[in-house]
Amino acid sequence: MKIDNSIDYNQLSNILNKYKQEKRFTLAILQDIQTEFNYIPKEAVFHLAEYLNIPVSEIYSMATFYKALSLTPKGKHIIKVCNGTACHIRGSNILIDEIKDLLKIKPGETTADGLFSLEIVNCLGACALAPVMVIDNKYYGAMTKEKIMEVINEYKEAAYD
Amino acid sequence: MKVIINSKEYQGLPGETLMELAKRNNVDIPNLCHKDGIEGQGRCRLCMVEVREGKKTKIVSSCVYPIRDGLEVVTNSEKIIAIRKNIILLLLLKTPNNDYIKSLAEEYGVKAPDRYVDYKVKENCILCGLCVKACEKMGTSAISLINRGTTKKVSTPYDDPSKDCIGCGACAEVCPTNAITMTDKNRIRTIWNKEFKLVKCSVCGKTFTTDEALQFIESKLGKKEERICDSCRKKIISEKFKESFKYF
Repeated sequence: MKIDNSIDYNQLSNILNKYKQEKRFTLAILQDIQTEFNYIPKEAVFHLAEYLNIPVSEIYSMATFYKALSLTPKGKHIIKVCNGTACHIRGSNILIDEIKDLLKIKPGETTADGLFSLEIVNCLGACALAPVMVIDNKYYGAMTKEKIMEVINEYKEAAYD
Repeated sequence: MKVIINSKEYQGLPGETLMELAKRNNVDIPNLCHKDGIEGQGRCRLCMVEVREGKKTKIVSSCVYPIRDGLEVVTNSEKIIAIRKNIILLLLLKTPNNDYIKSLAEEYGVKAPDRYVDYKVKENCILCGLCVKACEKMGTSAISLINRGTTKKVSTPYDDPSKDCIGCGACAEVCPTNAITMTDKNRIRTIWNKEFKLVKCSVCGKTFTTDEALQFIESKLGKKEERICDSCRKKIISEKFKESFKYF
């Protein structure tokens, strides 16, 4: 899989047309762009500024502030490892190190093939499942080093088949 | 509206903030992120003062605190000085090599414990956001506060030369700690990774602003502006003034 840096303007205008040209919709539009493109493309930032008639700097400020918005392309699958108190005690750091070794990425980064992104989150509210890991809204509880390998290989196989 | 500051009475104007009243009457309240003409931001927290309400007192930032009749304020109580020292210490740790912060620290006798200070840090910005506000007031909004937490900084989008920047230098002008580098060299001004051609004053021949800034002003005014620098303009106006009052 290759990361494509040019964006589809039709897709973008479909998102923009859902909203009125008002400043208050900035964050909602950015969220939609994030879900649609998996990141906030540079072109989209400039396009949005023009659409809402607000300074580019303001949108950029917002896009860099919220953790839910990313300026670099996110992977197809987003791995969230919980590092809340319960998960931390039950060894989430071991999980994080294992994923780092397996995928050769640090938290916040994306693999070269664009398949996975790794994120560390602070409590997913599922402490009974500690240590917990989430991939694309699917919860994997009571994770161990061995299980991680299995789960990640599953996703890899699905992608390359 | 009567306001008592340090047991002296002052006449306040409606809608004023404590800081404005104090400044107008030359009462010293230290501050970093306040500038006349720009509304208070309450960011640097250095302008904290004590407000007395009956038996209770509370600590407020004077730059955003609106005055009201009968307000009693103390600007230099022990508590306030202690808070100020604390803030200055934190600023000193962030920007240990900044001249202005160093002079503030000296004034208040603040010394940072050596083991906490990294003297190699070249940071000058205290993230007060005054430059962002000034840019917004100019109507350009080329810079903003980006990222958050420890990586927060002031910059243009993507750190690229911004098409919105007109090189007016308002941001560098208002910066309390001189954190913004603007160089004028060989008729070229460099600021925020962008280069501007400087314009010469048609009277004295000194360079005073950029082409882009003049064009921006002209587009706002809708008419051509003469290329005259501030001091020459003042001279011309005072000349005219003299002329019109000649026969009084």
